Amino acid sequence: MEGVATKTLAIVLAVVVVLVAIGIGLYYMTAPPAPTPTTPTTPPTTPTTPPTTPTTTTPTPPKVKEVVIGLIEPLTGKYAVFGQEARQAAELIVDIINNELGGIKSMGGAKLKLVVVDAGGSPDEARIAAEKLISENHPNIVLGAYISRMTAAVAEVTEREKTILVMDALVDDLTERGWQYVFRAAPKASMHGASAVDFVLDSAKKAGVEVKRVVILNEDSVFGTYVSNGAHMEAIKKGIEVANHISYPYDIADFSSILDTIKRSNPDFIIMVPYFSDGVLFAKQFAESGMKVKFIAGAGGCGFTDPDSIKAAGEAVLYYTNTYSFNPYRNTEWTKKVVSMFQQRYGKLPTEAGGIIFYSLFVVYEALEKAGQMFPDNPLNPDNLRQAFLSLDLNDSNSIAAQLYPSGRIKFAPNGDNLYALAVVLQVQKINGTLTPVLVWPEPQPGVSVVFPRP
Amino acid sequence: MLRSLRRRGLYLRLIGLIVLLAAMYIAFMTNKYYLLFITNLVFFAAIVLAWNIIGGYAGQLDLGTTGYMGVGAIVSSILSNNIGLHPLISIILGGLSSALLAGAIGFPMFRFGVREVWYALSTAAIVVILNNAVRLLIGPYEYYLRVRPIKTYDELYLATSIALVLVFLLNHAVNNSRLGYYLKAIREDELAAEAIGVDTRRYKLLALMIYAFIVGSLGYLYVVMIGYFYTYRFFDTGISVSIAILGIIGGLGSIEGCLVSAFLLRGVGEYLRTSLAHIIPGLHLLLYGAVLITLGVVEPEGIPGIARRFTTLLKTTKRPMGVVK
Amino acid sequence: MFEPTAFDLSAIGTGVVNGLVLGSLYALASLGLALIFGVLDIINFAHGDILMISSYIVYLVALSTGNPWIALLSSLALFALFGAGVYRGIIHYVLGKEPLIQIAITVGLGLILQNLALALFRAEPRALPSTLFPYPLSIGPLTLSANRVFVALVSIILCILVHYYSTRTKLGLASRAVAENREAAWLMGINVPLIYMATFTIGVLLTTTAAFLWMQIGPVDPYLGTIFGLLCWIIVALGGLGGVAGIIASGFIIGVLDSLGSIFLTPSGKYIPMYIAFILTIWFKPRGLFGRR
Repeated sequence: MEGVATKTLAIVLAVVVVLVAIGIGLYYMTAPPAPTPTTPTTPPTTPTTPPTTPTTTTPTPPKVKEVVIGLIEPLTGKYAVFGQEARQAAELIVDIINNELGGIKSMGGAKLKLVVVDAGGSPDEARIAAEKLISENHPNIVLGAYISRMTAAVAEVTEREKTILVMDALVDDLTERGWQYVFRAAPKASMHGASAVDFVLDSAKKAGVEVKRVVILNEDSVFGTYVSNGAHMEAIKKGIEVANHISYPYDIADFSSILDTIKRSNPDFIIMVPYFSDGVLFAKQFAESGMKVKFIAGAGGCGFTDPDSIKAAGEAVLYYTNTYSFNPYRNTEWTKKVVSMFQQRYGKLPTEAGGIIFYSLFVVYEALEKAGQMFPDNPLNPDNLRQAFLSLDLNDSNSIAAQLYPSGRIKFAPNGDNLYALAVVLQVQKINGTLTPVLVWPEPQPGVSVVFPRP
Repeated sequence: MLRSLRRRGLYLRLIGLIVLLAAMYIAFMTNKYYLLFITNLVFFAAIVLAWNIIGGYAGQLDLGTTGYMGVGAIVSSILSNNIGLHPLISIILGGLSSALLAGAIGFPMFRFGVREVWYALSTAAIVVILNNAVRLLIGPYEYYLRVRPIKTYDELYLATSIALVLVFLLNHAVNNSRLGYYLKAIREDELAAEAIGVDTRRYKLLALMIYAFIVGSLGYLYVVMIGYFYTYRFFDTGISVSIAILGIIGGLGSIEGCLVSAFLLRGVGEYLRTSLAHIIPGLHLLLYGAVLITLGVVEPEGIPGIARRFTTLLKTTKRPMGVVK
Repeated sequence: MFEPTAFDLSAIGTGVVNGLVLGSLYALASLGLALIFGVLDIINFAHGDILMISSYIVYLVALSTGNPWIALLSSLALFALFGAGVYRGIIHYVLGKEPLIQIAITVGLGLILQNLALALFRAEPRALPSTLFPYPLSIGPLTLSANRVFVALVSIILCILVHYYSTRTKLGLASRAVAENREAAWLMGINVPLIYMATFTIGVLLTTTAAFLWMQIGPVDPYLGTIFGLLCWIIVALGGLGGVAGIIASGFIIGVLDSLGSIFLTPSGKYIPMYIAFILTIWFKPRGLFGRR
């Protein structure tokens, strides 16, 4: 009995020793040469600009060598599709800002340094990722984390550290929690739903088609629910009868019974909020069901018009539309440039996940420029940065960020949402024999017109 | 005599565990990332140890961990946040509601003799049912808590450490009690245990309820750990399976094995995920899979089996040297 | 949020038909699992992931050759090797071991397959852009997808063939003898190890066929296995190990519950009736609704 006890004690002690050794080793490996144990808790995160130095040396160009941008995205697990593209987009934009634009001019050409960490697939992993990023890299601004519950976990950390978080998650209530240091340029979830309804009504009016009844169908996550509720409200506001509102789990294997329910509801059009593979399944099954409706409009992010979905669903998604937080066909210099650079580098059209990062990072760029001008002494102080974000009023003529944004205008409300948020609508059309997503709303891209109703 | 020796063994182990927890804290307290990370490890170690009671001692492959954890998490969150009960009371009530649920499910389950693969599948099915049902009840939203009794990671680490020590002691108590002997008899051969007069249903149910109580009470700490919110997504069969995996690798009924497996595998897995995730997604899960298969084929007893091989290896290499001397 | 549809007979009728169509594929997908469980007494938790990985192979070959039949044949050939390899490399070692060890090892295999798929193919859903019969089919008042009807018919035919295999052919009878009593079968001169390997491979091949049929109607992503894994086990639990008829019947039951649950409860809660049915079956009929063992 005692032999077992001492043996296990020996094992436990060995583990202690190993862990302590690893811990100390890691601590000294990762800690900066001058260990300052208090840095994580004190708000001013950059030791390069202590408040006293500017007064003694040249005051005007603040001495900022680099600005650390953290990106927390789901690189593994179920949501990896989105996180991987966001990472690619961020790497591209940081390259552009550093090499082509010469860094942040108002800070003496300070370069951006991008640090990417994996948010995993659950909120506890996302929060660990946020702490890792903060404690190892001391980012001045953080972007992320696409999935709402993971973004919420990240925001808990960034708020405590008073680090700016630019969110690429669209769920409405993320900007309703009273968080001080969050910003979101992208249109929120409910706006996607509302835009889908507005688009259908606009197009119906132009085509002289009467639409009165809608069935709303959504994947039942919090995102899908917010988008579909946005559509539901907008439909009621515009006097459209919501004949049915059905939610379903994203891992659905068969739409037959839902299609039958839709058929019985006899709608003029369908608003559908898919997750990803369920969108492909729906399109394929709808095509084989023989049912006719005047239109099927997708709402919210990926779904029908994504290159991957088009590849998977083929002809089945012809004439489907979807709302997008990003307009890859916008006729501005920078949209064309960034999209073609992205295509050159990664061999694919940027989608929702990448597009949001394009303009979010350029908003960060504009805010940093502004901070450098407004607070030359201490531009990277989080409260100063916040002021800089709030004072931004970007449009096509004065900024790159706005040129990449669907509405061409970005101005933040105190809660962090963009006052001029806009979602656009893409439609899958057959151009020169290949299925291509094209822009059809609010303004169709040149040489394109919306196909409405479905032929 | 035997008893006092056993006591001494327990004290040594307990001190070892506390020293380990304290050492980890001292090593990592200045860095919030490592602190949260070890908190996460300690939390999951506690969960795996709780699983050890039903999975390890009683040998019932329970895949319902997140079901019980989710119920406890949501109940205790609502009690402390919306009704304003003291957090400790909410935690206990959360644990109790989990235990009650476990009792309600477990009673007929054991009464009807559900075992082995069917037990595993039923518990997994219960997680899916809870996921769907809770979603219908509270909707898909994230609910944020206003009442936040634990503010810093130091407090959170302390709380999870206390939880781990309590679960550790409870494991020992079960292990050395009549319940523990009965459970192990049931694990080895249920029919034989029944034949010698062990009320197998009763003890299995008791083990299930103890486990559900612990996991349910730990649920609130999970809510704190992710930043004070709850959602129906807590009910996740994938996470339940990974808890069971850690328990199996730890060796059924081995407290130290469970601790080592939770710390080591989750630690290495997390390291692989954070450092290599952008190159090869899912590498840490590949590792779990490889470890499981290798263990299953080579050493089905898990970590204790490996440790035994290791020590016998050391002994056999020592002996010839003694002979020479 | 949702309005339950009016309780009318035609909705139930269509729901039942849709459920039967879906249920036949479920039955075929579960048949391999039931066969392996019944004869080898191996608890295979990697079943869904084997289906997932074969779906990827079917997809890749069909896309590169453009011919679904070549895809079927080549993936059958590949998965015959895969099945024999997995049997010899892994399953062989846990024959007759504790259920827990078998579960652990097959969960490990499933994790490897799932994350291998994630690493190789990423998480984007893949589907065949052109399938065999992409048009609607009207039968009386019902309109069904021709693809789904095709899938259902092939599934049923294959199930019947498996029934004949196990009741009429030498190999099938031998494997049933092994399932009944291994020692006796061994004494009767049946080569038990060979039967085991053959049965495991046949089980995998049935799963590959189900994967081929699934690719005619749906997309695949690395997490397809998690949907099918639990579902197939539930069908086996309901069907018991009595034979092919039980599996078909329980496939139908689950399919119909899935379909009617979607209509009368909500698709978001559609797993509730299916899984409650499963748990009640386990409680009151532990040998399955139609089981003999």
